[in-house]
Amino acid sequence: MISEQSVVSDRKRSAPSLAPLFRFKKVYAAFGLLLVLLFFVLPVFRLLLLSVLEDGAWSLSHYSGVLREAATWTAVKNTVYITAGSTVLSLVLGVSLAWVMAYVHIRGKRWMQLFVFLPFIIPSYITTLAWVQFLGKSGPVSSLFGWTPDLYSMGGMIFLLGMSHYPLVYLFTIEVFRKIPRELEEAAKTAGAGKMSIFLKVMLPLALPGIASGGLLAFLSSLDNFGIPAFLGIPANIRVLSTYIYEQVVGFGPSAFARAAVLSVLLGTIALLGTFVQWLLLKKSRVTETVMPDREPRIYVSPLRQRLLEGGIWLFLVVTSFVPFAAMGALSLIKAYGLPFHLENLSLKNYQYVFLTDPKTGSALWNSVSLALLATVVCLAAGTALAYIRYRNPGFFTKLAELCITIPYALPGTVLALCMIFAWMQPVPGWNPGLYGSIWILLVAYITRFFVLQVRGSYTAFLQVDPSMEEAARTSGAHAWVRWRRVLLPLIMPGLAGGALLVFLMVLTELTVSSLLWSTGTETIGVVIFNYEQAGYTTYSTAFATVLVLAILAGGLLFTAFSSRWERKVMKKQ
Amino acid sequence: MIQLHNVTKQYGPFTALHSVNLELKRSEFTAILGPSGCGKTTLLKLLAGFMKPSSGEIYMDGRLSASKSELIPPEKRNIGMVFQSFALWPHMTVYDHVAFPIRHHRHTREEWKQDIVARAQHVLKLVGLEQLFDRYPSELSGGQKQRVALARAIAPLPDILLMDEPLSALDVELRMEMRNEIQRIHRETQASIIYVTHDQGEALAMADKIVVMNGGKIEQIGSPEEVYTKPETAFVASFVGKCNMIKGKWDNGQFCPEAFPWESWPDIGITDSLKKEGLCPVRPEQWQLAGGSAEGLKGTVLSVQYQGKEVHYSVEVDNEIWIVHQPIFARRFQIGDTVSVSVKAAKRIEVPVF
Repeated sequence: MISEQSVVSDRKRSAPSLAPLFRFKKVYAAFGLLLVLLFFVLPVFRLLLLSVLEDGAWSLSHYSGVLREAATWTAVKNTVYITAGSTVLSLVLGVSLAWVMAYVHIRGKRWMQLFVFLPFIIPSYITTLAWVQFLGKSGPVSSLFGWTPDLYSMGGMIFLLGMSHYPLVYLFTIEVFRKIPRELEEAAKTAGAGKMSIFLKVMLPLALPGIASGGLLAFLSSLDNFGIPAFLGIPANIRVLSTYIYEQVVGFGPSAFARAAVLSVLLGTIALLGTFVQWLLLKKSRVTETVMPDREPRIYVSPLRQRLLEGGIWLFLVVTSFVPFAAMGALSLIKAYGLPFHLENLSLKNYQYVFLTDPKTGSALWNSVSLALLATVVCLAAGTALAYIRYRNPGFFTKLAELCITIPYALPGTVLALCMIFAWMQPVPGWNPGLYGSIWILLVAYITRFFVLQVRGSYTAFLQVDPSMEEAARTSGAHAWVRWRRVLLPLIMPGLAGGALLVFLMVLTELTVSSLLWSTGTETIGVVIFNYEQAGYTTYSTAFATVLVLAILAGGLLFTAFSSRWERKVMKKQ
Repeated sequence: MIQLHNVTKQYGPFTALHSVNLELKRSEFTAILGPSGCGKTTLLKLLAGFMKPSSGEIYMDGRLSASKSELIPPEKRNIGMVFQSFALWPHMTVYDHVAFPIRHHRHTREEWKQDIVARAQHVLKLVGLEQLFDRYPSELSGGQKQRVALARAIAPLPDILLMDEPLSALDVELRMEMRNEIQRIHRETQASIIYVTHDQGEALAMADKIVVMNGGKIEQIGSPEEVYTKPETAFVASFVGKCNMIKGKWDNGQFCPEAFPWESWPDIGITDSLKKEGLCPVRPEQWQLAGGSAEGLKGTVLSVQYQGKEVHYSVEVDNEIWIVHQPIFARRFQIGDTVSVSVKAAKRIEVPVF
């Protein structure tokens, strides 16, 4: 039956000309780029503009005023010390852990990895709360040793920032370590190189790009971090730029916004300097990588050493990622702050107050969850669309668009919050849409800040899909809707969901941007915990934070279960 | 049924195709042969409709299907395609793969759309996969994956089957087996096959017509035998026939090599275009080796490769290295031996005119 040629004649063969559509394509592209510039780039320009204007005229008086103050330079100095110190700590922890996890044969790597991620998905201000409880007067360390280090100090901030950001370094470096072909090391060995020169001349130069990128990210995150210096530095009177900007804005002064803008430019300059150092490091590196990361261990140690190593890593992970939170959870059950941890002092009173008595908590939960949902939906739809355009038309304009949407994420949160205020207070001179002071400014700010996370997540998901997957569907006659529904979506789903979950979690627990943009009635979870802490209600903040940590863990576990189930059932990966 | 008029494709400053003209007939098996980067994949993508040419037109069944401003997208064309990487969808079963185009292809017959299961079973039987319809790609071997990819492409019985190096991901044994399979499918479906490959053996074995490409241009179009025995350009001679190119002068049907003006070789079927260039391509099997005292050009054996059915020598003659294939029963030589090289007397082979 098949041997005869198909009936060609009675088939409809109309194909409308697509030319007009393609002419529109340029218009769409221009329009899209305009939107990107409007939402992501213009706010930054408004900030820069504000710092050099006085009463409508060009002036550098804000700069000269702010730069002449000794307080400014103290804040700059503190910022530099703290970020540099914490970056070094993150690098040491992240790189050594990544090296061991990538190369050495030890058991239980999957579980270890999960513990490494914990400080990454739990917001740093909650980690700080946990550590403060852990090392506090009524905490376990104090009752065991009778002495605790003081976290309300430079050292404490460096320590916590380092602990919060070493997973970033770890994540970047482990992939690079795994992608270095083991043959290169073996080739060096057969060429007679010793262990030390192999490490210095082969491994280090090859791993440098990953280490430098991870280090830069840790540096930028420390610079950007508001929670840790706000929780530890403000009580100890140690100011860094991000908290100093915050104090300017909430303190309102005659020229509060202009001064904050100048400080923001300073902060942005330090961020740029860090990026420049990374560029210098990477300028000369040429990377050849195996396409697939090599997950097999390369170094086998004696069973005794292996057990010691495993024990050491577990001790580190449990002490840094689990015990503080357990301490926080336990202390949230204490009736009044400062009481010893005895059975008769325990109750659920704090939880009762936080979740049943205080109306702010309920509304904050509602605000944060609905903001997170809305932001996630917007980012998921628009971000995936942008990622698809970028995937299908790799070129100058889509690259430029991606660069633009990265700016708000790369900027320190306090700086972005200021940009948002300037941009949306009066988007067009003389017209105030009433965004600032309402909950919508938070939504706009969150979307602006975290949009890039979804775009990156979706883009990576698309990159995993070979173009021939879609091409095969096209030559099978499937039009766009069928291709998306039957082929693309099932393949990119885990990537999309991962990006969306990240956006959701980030928005849910956001503190930096929220702390400058909230107003009465639009408090978010982060703001409420921060306000409790500032008012000295530590037991309340720990109770709220404990619930939040449990919710985040549940979300993370759900997602892991979902994606592994999806891989097994849908993607049929063995 | 497919015509390309002056089709050019540029990627930025790089020109992948230079003004290509080509005409492909219905039900013909055409192989597009060339080294990597010669533009053959670009040509296939243009035929599939994944992109528009920078200039020129492509007609299918007399209708303009692609030009600088117009494009009929692949999903509206009457085509099927087999990809180099197979492009199987990891989340679909073998049956789903075959049912997909039956359901969605615009040129599937109505009766097949009514009974997708029957049509899918028929197609799977045709490629020998009827037992595996509920397997997922991750549970299939390389050859089975290739069969699924074939089945998906032929399920709606398209007029044109495009194949992008479909066998290059398979091992040698399987490749030979799949050659037969593809030829059988061509016979049974009578589809026009456009088969892109860099493997001259594949092209020679399967195609009715070979289009040899190099540097974005068509070098020669002809039947496998024409392309092999009567190359029109130096590139075709060396790429398809692996010829040794000898420079010299043609005079009255006799070739006089530049380096050995006293020699006079017979015409072994060289095309006029190569004669004009003063070239004489000699395929490795057209040489005759004899002992150093015999007549012919004197050379030294540089390497000997025993191949089972023949022996491959490389022989240095006057600073040039020539590749010589000798039958297994001919006299053997060792490295360092002095040998006499001569061209076998041409036997007139009648090439069927294409």
